[in-house]
Amino acid sequence: MNLRRYLLVGLSSLIGLSVVFTMLVSSRPHEFQGSVIDPPVPARDFTLIDQTGKPFTLSQAHGTLVLLFFGYTHCPDVCPITLADFGRIKEQIGATADKVRFVFITTDPDRDTPERIAAYLANFDPAIIGLTGDSATLEMVWRDYGVYRVKVDNHDLSDYTVDHSSRLYAVGPDGKLHLTFSFGTEAEAMAADVQALLREN
Amino acid sequence: MHQNLVFRLAARRLFILFIISIAIVWGVSEVAFLLQKEAYDRPPKVIELVIPGGTADRIAAGQPVPAIPEEMVFVVGDTLVIHNADRIDHELGPLWVPTGTSASLNLDQASKMAYSCTFQTSRYLDLDVRQPTTWQTRVTAIALAAPATTMFIFVYSLVIRPIQPKNKPAGESVSLAK
Repeated sequence: MNLRRYLLVGLSSLIGLSVVFTMLVSSRPHEFQGSVIDPPVPARDFTLIDQTGKPFTLSQAHGTLVLLFFGYTHCPDVCPITLADFGRIKEQIGATADKVRFVFITTDPDRDTPERIAAYLANFDPAIIGLTGDSATLEMVWRDYGVYRVKVDNHDLSDYTVDHSSRLYAVGPDGKLHLTFSFGTEAEAMAADVQALLREN
Repeated sequence: MHQNLVFRLAARRLFILFIISIAIVWGVSEVAFLLQKEAYDRPPKVIELVIPGGTADRIAAGQPVPAIPEEMVFVVGDTLVIHNADRIDHELGPLWVPTGTSASLNLDQASKMAYSCTFQTSRYLDLDVRQPTTWQTRVTAIALAAPATTMFIFVYSLVIRPIQPKNKPAGESVSLAK
């Protein structure tokens, strides 16, 4: 009888401790892996043309989380890796992916026509929104988001490359810029940050 | 029999030299550790950097920004938080710091980087991220250096004092135990 009582008390204590531990762990604030913009600032608005030829305005995406990336379709390294990361993030966040917009903005408007962007993004995920526009509008967007880009002539080849910033910007559902991710941040870490941002907003 | 004795004498010398080597290496390692301790032997922490108002104007005028160092030393695990009190947005490598906000950079890998930087007249800021010296580092250093030091001293000792077993009368056993 005594042994049974001890066992019951022991088991109850163990369950109680597990519950308290789980509550403590789950109540801990998420530690962001991206660079946190504190306080978040309103993301500067823009209107560009997507791969279907329709206008896309950032402010119209309020209510969803927008992941912004600046690159170009002839990019040999950073852009394909980042666009592949978009896929991994989408996979990681599962059902909440419909609350996220993945946006690719060109840094090479001379070659990146809507058709070219559509064909390129089809290799990754056609749901990614690919944007281009006239040089003046793009210059403004690049400046507003601190995007560095410069054309580099390849003397051996007829083509040129474009050196460009590689960071990702996370605009929350509130339309504010909350996070930036440096190139090389693990997709899993970015997915966890995206989910935390969606929970907070 | 003679060969066996030489081998045993060599092994004994090697063992004694190994102990001496550990002592030497440990001593040198501790001295080096004490000398460098202040620089980067500390637990990770948050390091804040403020971009003061007027930075962009000073840079445009080609003047230095005295509040900002040209090189910063960190240990792995540090977090660099940059506060932008200037009137324009600033960048440091992967970081973008809109005006009036702060942004953070987790330094989780030892490396030496020269980041492009909009709040330095030179347009670059060197970040040196070092591995902190822990007791594991010190033990590893001793474990790596002691065998090499032992061999070095052993070879040197063979030159200075070759192994020569004393000749004993026939039938008498050679005792190595002291």
